Amino acid sequence: MNPSGALAGLKIIECGGLVAAAYATKLLADLGAEVIKVEPPWGDPARQRGPFPTGTPDPDASGLFLYLNCNKRGIVADLATAEGRELLYELVRGADLLIHNVPPPRMARFGLEYESLAAVNQRLVEVSITPFGTVGPYRDYEASDLTLWAAGGLAYLNGAGPGSDDLPPLKPFGLQAEFQGALNAAVAALGALFARRQTGTGQHVVVSIQQCVASILELTFEYYPYMGLIASRLGQKPIQPLDFFECRDGWIFVCCVEEHQWERLVELMGNPEWARLEIFSNRLARGRNWDALKLLMQEWMATQSVKDLYHAAQARRIPLAPVSTMGDLLKSEHLQARGFFATFESPSCGRVTIPGAPYRMQRTPWRLRTPAPRLGEHTAEVLAGIRSGNPWAHQGTPGKVAKESGS
Amino acid sequence: MKPLSGIRVADFTWVWAGPFCTLQLAHLGAEVIRVESSLRPCVTRLLPPWPDGEPGVNRSGYFNQYNQGKLSLALDLKHPEGIAVAKDLVRVSDVVCENFAFGVMDRLGLGYDALRSVRPDIIMISMSGYGATGPEREYVSYGPAQVPLSGLSSLTGYRGSPPMHVGISYGDPTAGLHAAVATLAALWHREQTGEGQWIDLSQWETTICMIPEAIMEYAWHGTQPERNGNRDPWMVPHGIFRCAGEQRWVAVVARDDAEWQRLARAIGRNDLAEDPELATLSGRRQAVERIEQAIEEWTLQRTPMEVTQVLQAAGVPAFPCYDSRNLAEDEHLREEGFFVELEHPEVGRKLHLGIPWRMSGTPCSVTRPAPLLGEHTEFVLRNVLGYDDERIQNLLASGALR
Repeated sequence: MNPSGALAGLKIIECGGLVAAAYATKLLADLGAEVIKVEPPWGDPARQRGPFPTGTPDPDASGLFLYLNCNKRGIVADLATAEGRELLYELVRGADLLIHNVPPPRMARFGLEYESLAAVNQRLVEVSITPFGTVGPYRDYEASDLTLWAAGGLAYLNGAGPGSDDLPPLKPFGLQAEFQGALNAAVAALGALFARRQTGTGQHVVVSIQQCVASILELTFEYYPYMGLIASRLGQKPIQPLDFFECRDGWIFVCCVEEHQWERLVELMGNPEWARLEIFSNRLARGRNWDALKLLMQEWMATQSVKDLYHAAQARRIPLAPVSTMGDLLKSEHLQARGFFATFESPSCGRVTIPGAPYRMQRTPWRLRTPAPRLGEHTAEVLAGIRSGNPWAHQGTPGKVAKESGS
Repeated sequence: MKPLSGIRVADFTWVWAGPFCTLQLAHLGAEVIRVESSLRPCVTRLLPPWPDGEPGVNRSGYFNQYNQGKLSLALDLKHPEGIAVAKDLVRVSDVVCENFAFGVMDRLGLGYDALRSVRPDIIMISMSGYGATGPEREYVSYGPAQVPLSGLSSLTGYRGSPPMHVGISYGDPTAGLHAAVATLAALWHREQTGEGQWIDLSQWETTICMIPEAIMEYAWHGTQPERNGNRDPWMVPHGIFRCAGEQRWVAVVARDDAEWQRLARAIGRNDLAEDPELATLSGRRQAVERIEQAIEEWTLQRTPMEVTQVLQAAGVPAFPCYDSRNLAEDEHLREEGFFVELEHPEVGRKLHLGIPWRMSGTPCSVTRPAPLLGEHTEFVLRNVLGYDDERIQNLLASGALR
């Protein structure tokens, strides 16, 4: 048992903007690692994105930033200046890991070349989360979440279906390409730390977000090498039902990929005659004749309530799911029983509710130790630590989370 | 030497979420032994694509993509001898990973308590759809339904239009990666303390972790962001634009005012670059339709790659919406060393996607293709479990090795 977490004792530096580096180190901080986040004087751009509790932009109250950076300390250092780099290098001396998402063309200017860092601390693992890697011809390309979602092949797969050629490929909500980069970076970072147990030295890990996105194309990518076919959002789904329906109080997703599930759904719908028509007799037939079947089903669905239908279907082992709104999630009895969401009082903006850890580790439980740092909140503390020869020392009491719920 | 050399994973996973977790561990050099049965093969072995359209449990590109580098042990877990072998495997393993519905492992006699009694420091991760507690824990969970359940669909869609999917069963890889992180952390803890543990992961929760902005907006204001196509509240323009050719598209973004100026000039619209109304984000929000129209007038005359080259030369983020053929033929990804092409006994040399990161000191690469069903049964029984010929013959005769 270690109430401080599975990774207690690891010292991590993050030089992150937006999501990619910050979520990687959040995962590790939530697991008990000690993280110092280094921000430029104007702050991580996540401080500008909100949402904001009062509706008015405030760099110390941006929801995205508060979520991504709890359990971390934060300092300000401008890595474009010599003083900033000096401060970074003082931290590097005692660190296990440095994770950043500074684009490759700027890495050298910010003092982030691995050789220089290793000269100070050869046990350091450096993880560079990049848009395109550091080798191929696109390595210096400018990128944003949307262009990387496109570059990894995922945008092409989503959007309006057959017959909607005029509508563009569609991105998912939020900054999902960056989240994928973050997850892969956390995996690779821990891998490199395991390697260090055997080799005694650190190394440089380069993550390509384009490749992270391409890694999750499900079965679609292999259609090309295996069969010469190109998957697109405009193709017909081979089997049905796998679609959205509007009920009287919201949306539901009907998923019946097995014949026995369809049989039970037909029963739940009151055995309408049309369900027994030859053209809907098996999942492939239902796929071919989906336009007709969808209309017939929609008529019935429109009379239903999402919640009742969800539970009634699940009671019959039919994998229907509500199209959850944020309100549905926050009010979900299931998620509440698991203590998933965490609510705490932040000194800068009052009551904050965030998603908690998506896993329960029996011997090393998740804990919200400190709220996200205000811009430069720990700069003085770290500078004092440097003067006394221990940059990682905590001076005084660390900022405590005032109120905590969830687990 | 690879990062996880010497670590063995008893892999009871199937479909996509679980195998994606153990793929990460295989990439890092762990010996991952997939426990499978020909009596109920992994769903992905039964799905296309197959070369020449000809099905076969060893021929699916879906399975072969996400099980690279693993071994396969054929075992009937409904057979008492099969369970005995499974426990022997756990006895010599560091990690057990499974993504069955809640309760299945317990019913098989392979729950955490049973496994801990054969291997006290075992790390076991269960990755069910809903998690192992809570009133809905026994609900049926399928990949495509996880995306709507997670809330991502209610946020995704064209303006004023119904909720949409995201193109893949996004909850699966998201759960798989979170599971890999938790498993590695538990291994780290075991190295420090000698103690194993059980991890209860909820696939549903892993995806909610990736939409914090919307959760927090609702918690503060009781509203949720409206579906808004490809636009972004803080970057204008931010879209996917039609290009010359059939279904050719390019993503273009201006992250700040300076990038907008460069973008406008690069598409030959100095008038827009100099328009004071468009100089600020709030001004561009007001004029977003006009800006998007101007960009598309220009992109329609060019291929996605031509657009990309012109805009990248001006320092503006742009990239084509790659399809699978674009990916497979991409020189950049080839130079990055992303692809894997290994000889597979039933499908030959096919292109697969490899590891999305590079390590300078302990390079990792995929060194064996996905296994045939049961390909390593004898190897595992003999070399990993130390069974002798007689034991193996008896097992074969019992029907447990199917």
